[in-house]
Amino acid sequence: MNKESQMRAAINQKLIEMGERERLKELLRAKLIECGWRDQVKALCKEVIKEKGLENVTVEDLVAGVTPKGRALVPDSVKKELLQRIKAFLAQHST
Amino acid sequence: MKMEDVSLSSMDNSKMEGFAQDILSDLVEDACLGLCFEVHRAVKQGYFFLDDTDQESMKDFEIVDQPGVDIFGQVYNQWKNKECVCPNCSRSIAASRFAPHLEKCLGMGRNSSRIASRRIASGNNTNKSESDQEDNDDVNDNDWSYGAEKKAKKRKSDKNPNSPRRSKSMKHKND
Repeated sequence: MNKESQMRAAINQKLIEMGERERLKELLRAKLIECGWRDQVKALCKEVIKEKGLENVTVEDLVAGVTPKGRALVPDSVKKELLQRIKAFLAQHST
Repeated sequence: MKMEDVSLSSMDNSKMEGFAQDILSDLVEDACLGLCFEVHRAVKQGYFFLDDTDQESMKDFEIVDQPGVDIFGQVYNQWKNKECVCPNCSRSIAASRFAPHLEKCLGMGRNSSRIASRRIASGNNTNKSESDQEDNDDVNDNDWSYGAEKKAKKRKSDKNPNSPRRSKSMKHKND
């Protein structure tokens, strides 16, 4: 098990150092805007704001109120595409 | 199949899959958090509900495209040729000459101190400059940019153009 977590850490580091994580982030962001996810989650935020009040809403309120649903709302196609890229990177760099 | 042949890494396919899913999960979480922060900032800065303005009010902010007027509908060269009254000497000065005149008149600003120190340097020989201060201001108004050029030219010739590194070795000399 130790070797596995070592490997994970090493690959994570490579992911960041080679800029791939940043690229993946940008790709995900673009896809999420394109498929309307961003607008959907924004609507969820509006509900939280109306519930808690415009003046009092905190970051924690938004995060707690929106993240679980937000994660479920990500379309499968987007997930698939990103997984593909991630796995390709892993295959290339797992030695 | 020997244990060493399974894969070059110590992780097999299902673990790779799990790892990839974890990475994806992190990325999605980052995206959610990022959006929450953006929304929160928009709420606190007051621009979150800006898109919900009614049509009529939106018309107030449409881009203006008339001649002589900027996109907000304001006239932009109104103040070009106005005259201002100097609070110090109570003269009427053109708007574009106002700032340099104030510099001389109030005795502040970069050029004023340069001119003053020059006068002091040359004033040791002649005392004429003191009484003619008022007139000198007028002269300096027109020669304002010229005076700056003169000083700039003087500065440049002090530096040796051939060896820009001289100043660095001078630094070590002082140590």
